[in-house]
Amino acid sequence: MRKKQTKKKNSFGLGSKISQLSKKNCPLAKKNDEELNYKNVKLLKKYISDSAKILPTRITNVSHSKQKILVREIKKARALALLPYVTN
Amino acid sequence: MNIYEHTYIAAPEANKKDIENIEKKIEDILNKSSGKIHKTEDWGLRNLAYPIKKNNKGYYRNLYLEGNKDTIKEIENFEKFDEKVIKYLSIKLKKLPKEDSELLKEKV
Repeated sequence: MRKKQTKKKNSFGLGSKISQLSKKNCPLAKKNDEELNYKNVKLLKKYISDSAKILPTRITNVSHSKQKILVREIKKARALALLPYVTN
Repeated sequence: MNIYEHTYIAAPEANKKDIENIEKKIEDILNKSSGKIHKTEDWGLRNLAYPIKKNNKGYYRNLYLEGNKDTIKEIENFEKFDEKVIKYLSIKLKKLPKEDSELLKEKV
């Protein structure tokens, strides 16, 4: 019983800070504009579902600023038939 | 003068001559308004993700142009009525990219 209580205390003190640090980082953080491009189809394919929908950030952990760019590039690639709009 | 990135897809039945003709016409339009082509990339015959005008394949060509907004409009207007061009996309850029695109590397 005592051990359980100490664990709970940790989650409010130092433990919570550690858990924040171990949160997954944005996978596109180090990609610059030239890499994150509509021509980089291999990279973009990782961020669309099997039915070709754009995946939400809660699944992919992409940061908000990069997601904005990513969505724009996926839509450009779709316009040029490099990526599909829908797949059956 | 702005820098544009212009990509067009030619129909799969187009010959080398057809593509040369398209390229010549684009150059003519650019020469009229003192624009120029910085770089061309040939991505070759690729499968399309969805059929466009009943074609399942297409020749991709990518150009980096310098010109005014009117010149790019004129190029797009020409491609709209050309039967050999299925689809096109032009994008305004801030500066020219230094490296080749991933699609060109993929081909080789």
